[in-house]
Amino acid sequence: MTDGTIAEKELIDAVAHLDAQALRRWVDLGWVLPQRDGDNLGFDASDVARVRLICELHYELRIEEDSISVVLSLMDQLYETRCCLNALLSAVAAQPEHVRAGIAALVKAQG
Amino acid sequence: MADPYQILGVGREATQEEIRKAYRRLAKGNHPDLHPGDKGAEARFKEIAAAYDILGDEKKRARFDSGEIDASGAERQQPEREFYRQHAETGPGFKYERRGQESGPDDEDDVFSRIFGRRSAGMSARGSDVGYTMSVEFIEAVNGAKKRVTMADGKTLDIAIPAGLQDGQILRLRGQGRPGLGGGEPGDALVEVHVARHPIFHRDGNNIRSVLPLTPGEALAGAVVRVPTVSGPVQLRVPKGSNTGSILRLRGKGVTSPQGNGDHLVELRVVLPEHPDEDLVRSLTQWEAKHPYDPRKQQGEQS
Repeated sequence: MTDGTIAEKELIDAVAHLDAQALRRWVDLGWVLPQRDGDNLGFDASDVARVRLICELHYELRIEEDSISVVLSLMDQLYETRCCLNALLSAVAAQPEHVRAGIAALVKAQG
Repeated sequence: MADPYQILGVGREATQEEIRKAYRRLAKGNHPDLHPGDKGAEARFKEIAAAYDILGDEKKRARFDSGEIDASGAERQQPEREFYRQHAETGPGFKYERRGQESGPDDEDDVFSRIFGRRSAGMSARGSDVGYTMSVEFIEAVNGAKKRVTMADGKTLDIAIPAGLQDGQILRLRGQGRPGLGGGEPGDALVEVHVARHPIFHRDGNNIRSVLPLTPGEALAGAVVRVPTVSGPVQLRVPKGSNTGSILRLRGKGVTSPQGNGDHLVELRVVLPEHPDEDLVRSLTQWEAKHPYDPRKQQGEQS
């Protein structure tokens, strides 16, 4: 593939423990979201890191696949919340001093 | 690098299974992708992985135990790796966002819609409300007034105190709060108004109460007396034989408010002279001897 993605076979060669059957299963479960081109799958850098993480959780840390779906779901929510928080923090940081002071005081008051 | 046994928290005689268990426990607790807020997690995780790289492999462990390789020997074999969190924190719009949730982008739980009332598009936001407190005189609160106040940021505001304002009432001044964000409308100023006490008048809903002192003669013979009200003094006719505690109503002389106009209730109080002379004392005592009455009759059985 030309768009910064790698094919299924390259991915399997690059990641320890990974086999084609497991990879297809994870894609079918929606744990990994590669680009599809007919029957071919294209994995971008975030997909590769995610597959590597799933392998690590499953084969090295011995987390069962049932539990991995819970871990991934919580992890995705955590990252989304953190992205949202970072966007908010940047917006706050771009405000004039008195606005930031007002926000800080309100946040403090909320305990 | 520190002693791999110490890093994994196991003894030198630990079995391979014990080492594996210790490694899994520590790796789960320190995996940087599972602890994105923990800056130290990556370094700790790498250290744990390096320690396990030696001790998890029986042959390498034996060579380490015999002093053939040292703890740092394993570090070179740890390739520089990319963690998932480096991708996941790239910003809103990351492809795995919301994978964990069923809800769509219009979900009211969405942080941006909660804050800004709609999806983050354009990032416009209403400015925040600002709270202030101020005090007004009793009469100003009853009759209404215009007040000019200086805000914390140096801005002056003209505030219309509506007639009939209650103590602690909050006035909302539209658009006088903090400026909005990205074209959003400004917030409001919320002014909590405290009403000062008055030496004569007391507020009782929309009624005004005051006490009217009378001499015994005025109370006995009746009189026309000048009475202050919130709308200026009036002449009040006190009927003959009025007593302390009697209440006279000045209709419509209370608080004017959208809920209707109150009355002014005047409570009479007979007041003896501050320094009664012998004459008064004697004549009253003599009068009472001839016309005995018991002002405490009502209380007799209760006390």
